[in-house]
Amino acid sequence: MTRVLVVDDEPALLRAVGAALKARDYEVATVGTGQAAIDAIALAPPDVVVLDLGLPDLDGIEVCRRVREWSDVPIVVLSAEGSEARKVLALDQGADDYVTKPFSTAELLARIRVALRHRTHVASPDDDAVLRVGDLAIDLARHTVDVDGRRVDLTPKEFAFLALLARWPGRVLTHRTILQEVWGPEYGSESQYLRVYASQLRKKLDDDPVQPRLITEPGVGYRLVDPAAEAPD
Amino acid sequence: MKRLPPTGGAPLLGIALGVATVVVASGALLPVRTHVTRATPALVLVLGVVVAGVVGGSLAAALVALVSAAAYNLVFIPPFWTFKVNVADDWVALAVFLVVALAMGLLVAGQAERRRAAEAREAELRALYDHLRAMAEEREQLAEEATRAQVLERVDEQRAALLRSVSHDLRTPLASIRAVASDLRDGTAYDEETRTELLETVCDEAERLDRIVANLLSLSRIEAGALTPDRQAVALDELVADRVRRLGGLFRQTRVQVDIPADLPLVDGDYTQLDQVVTNLLENAARHAPPASLVRVTADERNGMVELRVSDEGIGVPDWERRRIFEPFRKGEGSRSSGVGLAICKAIVEAHGGTIDVDRTPGGGATFVVSLPMREVRTA
Repeated sequence: MTRVLVVDDEPALLRAVGAALKARDYEVATVGTGQAAIDAIALAPPDVVVLDLGLPDLDGIEVCRRVREWSDVPIVVLSAEGSEARKVLALDQGADDYVTKPFSTAELLARIRVALRHRTHVASPDDDAVLRVGDLAIDLARHTVDVDGRRVDLTPKEFAFLALLARWPGRVLTHRTILQEVWGPEYGSESQYLRVYASQLRKKLDDDPVQPRLITEPGVGYRLVDPAAEAPD
Repeated sequence: MKRLPPTGGAPLLGIALGVATVVVASGALLPVRTHVTRATPALVLVLGVVVAGVVGGSLAAALVALVSAAAYNLVFIPPFWTFKVNVADDWVALAVFLVVALAMGLLVAGQAERRRAAEAREAELRALYDHLRAMAEEREQLAEEATRAQVLERVDEQRAALLRSVSHDLRTPLASIRAVASDLRDGTAYDEETRTELLETVCDEAERLDRIVANLLSLSRIEAGALTPDRQAVALDELVADRVRRLGGLFRQTRVQVDIPADLPLVDGDYTQLDQVVTNLLENAARHAPPASLVRVTADERNGMVELRVSDEGIGVPDWERRRIFEPFRKGEGSRSSGVGLAICKAIVEAHGGTIDVDRTPGGGATFVVSLPMREVRTA
């Protein structure tokens, strides 16, 4: 059984999330402070951690940083709306993904599933010559992209951008990560490039604005999803 | 700073006035020159030197002394209209006149210069004083402006803090409500007990939202200065009992013990406002009470006031924070409330003419002590 540690100081939220996870056959442990979370992760490592950023004792970002020193357990952080900088900081400090409060249980469960998948199986270009995300097929060796069997012409940068996101389907990648992977280590703050490339990609992939494959996380980054598999809110 | 020259006055004006005096005096004495002694014209001519010295300074005095000596010789020492001097007496008179005129002129000029220098110094001092005063005024004005700017900045900061904490406070219960509601809508299969618990959570959190909104309304009333209690006789035991019952969801993890004598004097207060004080104090206690601990509510009459005490067994309030926790947005350690609840309590209690304070619970924890005025009982 998959073990989830939920860290939040709101008893009501722990009850809600705990019940939803248990109903889906997760084994759930809950704690209310950052220190208790660190202790719990050290004592009985869970398969995934759901971590609120606003804890009474330690900042959630600090908890991320400390846990990452000795553990690579997937961490999904819960954060308040309007704190994009804190989300980016949490991701930089080792969090795998985030959900913005208030969230639907389906959204949280989807993020937890993505985080778990990436820990158990990280797609690598060597053994996966073709990355598939829904009806999207990205052939890394031939540098070709097909949408629902239709060939799409991409520039080398567009291809690299899409391939990077496709390697981590469903997971948010920060502007900095994308810039450094695609443009090079000397880049990091030129997020306006990404806006242009994302918009070109959406056009070429014929993205539905209501259910896009390439999702913008404002102020944070981008994620590539399979709209058909993404649970509705 | 400008320094005036020590010699001074107006040399040319002095010379002109001196010479004019000499000319006028000589002219006036001309008709009687044969009838007066040598001394009379000499005394009158010295006047010109004095005038030159006062107005024009030492150089003008010396020059006019020479001119008056020449005039003395020309006009009053025979043979007239020549510079010739025939009698030894006249030589002596001329020489003495010149010396006296020079000495007199220089003396007077020196005196005048000293006076002028003193005046200049005084003017200098006055200018310096004015300058200093202007600087002081400017500094004062700057300080005032800085204070005003600081106050405005603080108000802005407080507003931003209020918005941040309010949105956080509103969103926290919303997060739980949305999580449960979306989950139930998606048809997740729960056993009856869990389902009931989740629905209770939604109800509790909705009530919590309601309390936050009530606090916000009070806060805006306090800010508008419109917190006038609508006074009536309030039975505190009934108010507390009703509030504890309504807040039942808050005390799932802790026990509440209410100990208020039925013969407690009535409080002279606004029921709705006092209810909010009790609500905020109970909510505060519930938030800080460790699981399975005891929250106590007691009341008695003390010094002609009704004293209500709400105590918890939490971490308590450190001495240095005891005053500050009643300031808006002052969260206690580990607290995640917006920090307006206790500030509202204080505003309401003080509007009633009462006091609120925080004390230590014996054995650990915080005890909030509220003192409220009694309703005067009319005896028949």
